[in-house]
Amino acid sequence: MATVISAAAPGQQERTRSRERVVGVFRATPFSYATLILVSAVLCVPLVFVVSIALSSDQTVNANTFTILPREFHWENFTRVFGTELPMQRFLLNSMIISAGAVLGQVLSSGLVGYAFARLRAPGKNALFIVVIATMMIPSQITMIPQFILFKDLGWVNTYLPLIVPNFFSNAFNVFLVRQFVSRLPSEIDEAAMVDGLGFFGIYRRIMLPMLAPVLIAIGIFTLTATWGDFMGPLIYLNDESKMPLALGVQYITSTSQALQAPPWNLVMVGSILLTLPMILVYYLGQRYLYEMDISGGSAGVK
Amino acid sequence: MSRLRRREALWFYLFASPWIIGFLVFLLGPMIASIYISLTDWDSFTPPKWVGLQNYTRLLTDDPVFWKALWNTFYYAAISVPLGLVIGLWLANLLNKQVRARKVFRTLIYLPTLVPLVATAMIFKMVLAPSGPLNDVLNIFGIPGPSWLLEAVWVKPALILLSVWGAGGATVLLLAAMKGIPRELYEAAEVDGASRIRQFWSITIPQLTPIIFFNLIMGLIGAFQVFSQVYILTKGGPNNASQTMVPLLFDQAFSFYKMGYASAISWMLFLVILGFTLLAFRTARRWVFYETEVK
Repeated sequence: MATVISAAAPGQQERTRSRERVVGVFRATPFSYATLILVSAVLCVPLVFVVSIALSSDQTVNANTFTILPREFHWENFTRVFGTELPMQRFLLNSMIISAGAVLGQVLSSGLVGYAFARLRAPGKNALFIVVIATMMIPSQITMIPQFILFKDLGWVNTYLPLIVPNFFSNAFNVFLVRQFVSRLPSEIDEAAMVDGLGFFGIYRRIMLPMLAPVLIAIGIFTLTATWGDFMGPLIYLNDESKMPLALGVQYITSTSQALQAPPWNLVMVGSILLTLPMILVYYLGQRYLYEMDISGGSAGVK
Repeated sequence: MSRLRRREALWFYLFASPWIIGFLVFLLGPMIASIYISLTDWDSFTPPKWVGLQNYTRLLTDDPVFWKALWNTFYYAAISVPLGLVIGLWLANLLNKQVRARKVFRTLIYLPTLVPLVATAMIFKMVLAPSGPLNDVLNIFGIPGPSWLLEAVWVKPALILLSVWGAGGATVLLLAAMKGIPRELYEAAEVDGASRIRQFWSITIPQLTPIIFFNLIMGLIGAFQVFSQVYILTKGGPNNASQTMVPLLFDQAFSFYKMGYASAISWMLFLVILGFTLLAFRTARRWVFYETEVK
C-alpha cells in the first residue's frame, strides 16, 4: 500500500485536476465545503474558548463569565503564570527532563533491537519475535503494581527514574516499526559493507543508523508526545510539587485550590496552552517523517 | 554452526539485549508477580497474606461497583470506537475530494488530537460546565442543557463526546489509505454507471478494511484503558455512573492500597481486552480484505 503522502501528493493532485471531469467522485460540491467549514469550526471552538479563558482577567474568572470569543486581552497572564506561587518554570523544566530522557532511551534502544530482529540470524530469533508481538496485547495495568513495588524497593519513588529508565529497554511497538523499516532496505547494502571489512556494530553505526533517521525521528516524536502528555505515570511516582511535570502540575492547580474559591482558570488555561504548543510545533516539524515512515503499510502488517 | 554464524548470533543477542532485559525485568517478572499478588491480600507495607481466589470471587459475586465499571467500560467502548470510526471515515472521504485549502482543513481537523489528554480534560471541564459553551449553543435552539458531568444519565455521553473530538487522528490514517486506492477502480466503476454512493460502498470501504480493522483494534484497546479523562473530570462519579475499569483499579491500588484486589482487576481487564481482540480477529476473516492475500 503506497501511502507516502509527501511523495505522492503533488503528482496525484495534477492528475486529479486534469481528469476532474471524467471522475466526478473526487469533485467537492458546495455542500462538501459547507460541511467541512462547519466541522472545522465546531472542532476548533474548544480551542478558541481556551484562548479566551487564558486572556481573561481574574474578575472574569471569579464571576465565571467567560465567553467563547475573547473580549479581554490580558496577555500578561502568559508572563504572570511564571511569577505566581505556581512553580510553572519548574513544571516545564521537569517535563523537558523526563521527555528528553525518555526520547533518548527509546531512540538508542529501538534502533539496535529492531535492526537485530530484521537482519541478524540467530537460533531462537523467530520464537523471540513472536513474543515481541504478543507483548503488544498486554495492557500496561497488569505490570503497573509490581513495577511500582520494584521502583519503591529501589528507592526510586519521587524521582524521575521510573519515568525515564524503562525507555532504555525499548518497547515492542518501536522494535516492530524499526524491523519493518529495515526489512524494506536492500540487504546488499550490509553485505557490501561486510565484504569491506566492517563488523556488525560498524554496519549498524555507520551504514544503518543514518538510513534509519526517518523511523527513529518518528519514534522520537511518538515517545515525546506520549511522555509529555502522560498523566498516570507521574501521578503514581511523583509526590513533590517541585518534581511534577506540566501535565500533572496543571491538573494539580485545579484540584488543590481551596474550597469555595474558583481555580485560577485563566492561568490553568495558559498552562494547557503551554502543554499543547510544543505538540503542535513537533507535529508541524515532524509530519514529513511521520508520513515517510509509511505508517499505514507498516501497521496493516499487524494482522 | 560456522564461526561466522556463531559470531552473528552472539551479536544478535547483544543488540537485542535491551529488549530482552526489559522484557524480563519490566514485563515477564512483573506479570508473574501480578498473578501472585492477585491471590493475596496485600497493602504493600506488611507481608502479603495468601487468600487464593478470594479476590476474584469477590469481584465477580460481591462487588456491584466492579460490575458497574465493567458495564460503563463496555458502554464507552461500544459507542465511542464505532462513532469515532464512522466520523473519521466521513471526514476522510470529504477531504479526499478536490478541495481547495485541503491542508488547512486537514490541520484544523487534526488539531484536537495534538492537545494532550490532561489539557483536553481541562478544556472540556469548561466546555461542559452548566453555563459553558455547549449549553449556550443548546439554549439557542431552546434546549435546556444538563449539568453534563453531574448527572448520571449524561456523564457517559459527555465522555464519549470528548473522545469524538479526537476523531481527526483516525481521519489522517484513513485519508492516507484512501490515496493509495488505485484510481482505475473508480474509473471502471464510473464507466459501468455506478453511483457515487455505490462507489463508496463497493470500492472505498472494501479497500480501506485493513486500516479500518487496525483502527478498530487500537481503538478498542485504548477505550478499555480510558483513565485520565475519567479521573480528572468525574473521578468516576456521580454515583459511579462514569466509573471505568482503570480508574477503579488505580484507586484500589494507590488510594486504598489494596494491591491484591487491584491486581485481580488488572487480570479481568486483560481477559476482557483479549476476548474482544480475539473476537475482532475472528470476524475479520469475513470482512477485512487484503489485496496481497492468496487464500
